[in-house]
Amino acid sequence: MSHFLTEEQELMRGVAREFAQQEVAPIAKQLDATHEFPWAWVKRCAELGFMGVSIPEEYGGVGAGVITEAIVIEEIARESGSLALIIDAHTSLGCMPLLHVGTEEQKQKYLVPAAKGEKLMSFGLTEPGAGSDAGGTKTTAVLDGDEWVLNGSKCWITNIGVAETYIITAKTDPDKGNRGISAFIVENGTPGFNIGKPEEKMGLNNSLTGELFFNNCRMPKENLLGQLNKGFPVFLQGLDEGRIAISAMAVGMAQGALDRAVAYSKERVQFGRPICKNQAIAFYLAEMATKVELARTMLYRVARMRDEGLPYTYEAAMLKLYSSEICCEVCDKAVQIHGGIGYSRQLDIERFMRDAKLLTIGEGTSEVQKIVISGRLLA
Amino acid sequence: MATIIACYKWVLDEQDIKINPGSLDLDTSRAKSKISDYDRNAIEEAVLQEEKTGAEVASLTFGNSKAKQSLKDALSRGPAKAYWVNDELADKADALVTANVLAAALKKIGQYDVILCGEGASDTYAQQVGPRIATLLGIPAITFVSEMKIESDKVIATRKIGDCTEEVSVSFPVVVTLLPEINKPRIPSLKQVLGAAKKPTTEWSIADLGLTTEEVTAKNKVKSIKGFVMSRKNVIYKEGTPTDKVASLVASLTKEGVL
Repeated sequence: MSHFLTEEQELMRGVAREFAQQEVAPIAKQLDATHEFPWAWVKRCAELGFMGVSIPEEYGGVGAGVITEAIVIEEIARESGSLALIIDAHTSLGCMPLLHVGTEEQKQKYLVPAAKGEKLMSFGLTEPGAGSDAGGTKTTAVLDGDEWVLNGSKCWITNIGVAETYIITAKTDPDKGNRGISAFIVENGTPGFNIGKPEEKMGLNNSLTGELFFNNCRMPKENLLGQLNKGFPVFLQGLDEGRIAISAMAVGMAQGALDRAVAYSKERVQFGRPICKNQAIAFYLAEMATKVELARTMLYRVARMRDEGLPYTYEAAMLKLYSSEICCEVCDKAVQIHGGIGYSRQLDIERFMRDAKLLTIGEGTSEVQKIVISGRLLA
Repeated sequence: MATIIACYKWVLDEQDIKINPGSLDLDTSRAKSKISDYDRNAIEEAVLQEEKTGAEVASLTFGNSKAKQSLKDALSRGPAKAYWVNDELADKADALVTANVLAAALKKIGQYDVILCGEGASDTYAQQVGPRIATLLGIPAITFVSEMKIESDKVIATRKIGDCTEEVSVSFPVVVTLLPEINKPRIPSLKQVLGAAKKPTTEWSIADLGLTTEEVTAKNKVKSIKGFVMSRKNVIYKEGTPTDKVASLVASLTKEGVL
C-alpha cells in the first residue's frame, strides 16, 4: 500500500519494523507481565535514533520530521503499546516544548541528551483538579531571589522515575487563569521534588505513570521555559503534537490486533473449515482493515500538515478521536474473533485490548476532542 | 587495505506474495522488494571486516530500474559506495546471465580483493552466481562459509560441508559465498538511512560493461510460476481396533502408490 512516502521514509519504516519484529515482539507479552520499565529496549531505541526522530540534527536528533516519528511509533505499537508510549511521552511531549521555546542554553543542556536518548523526558500538566482544563492548575511557582519555588502536585504523568528531566506547568500569576501559567524544567533529584509510586493500570504495563510532588522545590531562575505566563500556548502546541503521536500508537496497535485476528481466523478451524470462511468473520476483518487504513491515511496527512508548518489543531483532534476509537473497536473485534483464547493470557491479543483503552483517554479524552472539533466548526 | 565488494540481489519479499486460490497464479502486484536475506549476511560480513581490518567496502547489484530503491537500503547498512547495473533484462536473468553481468561489472570496477555473495538468493536459491563469477574472473571461490577472517592478502575461511568443516586459506582475489549463520545482520539506525543518500552511487547499463545482448539473455525461459497448495483428503480411520486402523491406513497408502 502506498502512502506517497519518500524512499527514506519507507526505509525508516523498515528499520522500525525490523526492530519491532526482531527485538520487541518475542518478549513483549512476557515483559508486560513483569510491569517493569524496558530499559534494554529504550537503549536500543536510542541507538537506532528513535528517541529524537523529529528533533533537528543540530540538537542531537535525526531531523526526519513528525511524519517519520509517527511511522516509527506506529511500527513499534504493532508489537508493544508500552514502548510506543514511552517514546511518545519522551519526544512529542517532553522534547518538543524545549525545541519550540527553549533558550539555546536549555536546548544544549536538556534537549541534546534527550534527543540522543541518553536522558528521558517527561511532561507534567495534569493535576487532580486540572488536565485538559489547564486553567485549573493549582501548582504554583514563586520567584524568591534567584530561584523559583514550586509547590503542588501532578498526576498521571508518564515516564515518572525513569525520566531525568520534567517539563512542569505551574501558576505564576494565580489571578490570570490560563494567562498566568508558565513552564519549568525540573531535574530529577532537585530538593523538594518527589516522585510517587507508579500507578497500577489496566494496561500499558511497561510504561510508568504516576504522581509528582513539589514541596518548596527550588530551582534556578533560568529553569523557566519560554516566557513568563506564556506556558499555556506551549502546552496547547504540545498537546497537538502529542495527539499525532498517540494516534500513531492507535494506528499501530489496531494494525497489530488486525494482523493477529487475520492470522488466527485462517488457522482456527470450526465445522470443518477455517473461521475466516464465515462471512460474519470475514466482514469483521474487512471493516477493521478499512478503519485502520482510513486512520493511517489521516495520520500521515496531519503529520504532514505539522511538518509543513500549517495549522493542524482541528485535524489533530479529529485524527485522535477517530484513531483511538477505532483502535478500541478493532482490538475488541480481534478478541471476539479469537473467542475463548482471546480472553485468556495464553495469547497476546488481550494485551492489545487493555492497552488500547488509554488511547481514548490520554492527551484529551474523546469528549475533549469533540469540544475542540465542534468549537472550531461552530466558531 | 583490502577492497571488498558485497553482491546482492533485489528480490520480491515473499511475505507479500499472494497465491490466487483458483488459478494458483502468484499475485506480486503489491509485493515490496528487499535485499535477498543471505545477501544481507554478505553486506554485514563486508562491514564487519571493514571494522576489523579497515577494508574498503562497496555493494554491487544487477537489477531493473526498480532496483534503484535498493541502493540507499544497501548503503544504510554500511558500504561506502554502491554500484548498480540497470537493465530490464534482469527480470529474466538466470544465474549465468547474472554472473556474466556481475563479473563484467567487477572487471570495470577493477579493484577487488574479496567478493562476497550470499550462498543463494531468497527467490531462486540456485547457489550458482558466486562460483560462476569466480570462474568468469578466473579466481578461486570458497563456498559454504560459516566463518571468515582476512589476514594481509588472504582469506581464511571455515567451510561447512556435510557433517564436517574444512578450514581453507586463499590468497586475494577470491569469491566467498556465505552461509546465513556467519553473522546476524544489524538493523541500521535512522541516521544511517538518511546518511545513505550522501554516499556515492554508480549506475551502469549493459552497454557500459561491453556486454552483448546474447550474453545477458537467458537461454532458458520460465513458462509459468504457480503457487503450491497441498490438498488434503482429510480421511480419518475411526472404526475398529488400532490394528484394523493401521491396516486400513496401509491399504489406502498402498492404493495411492505412496508405499
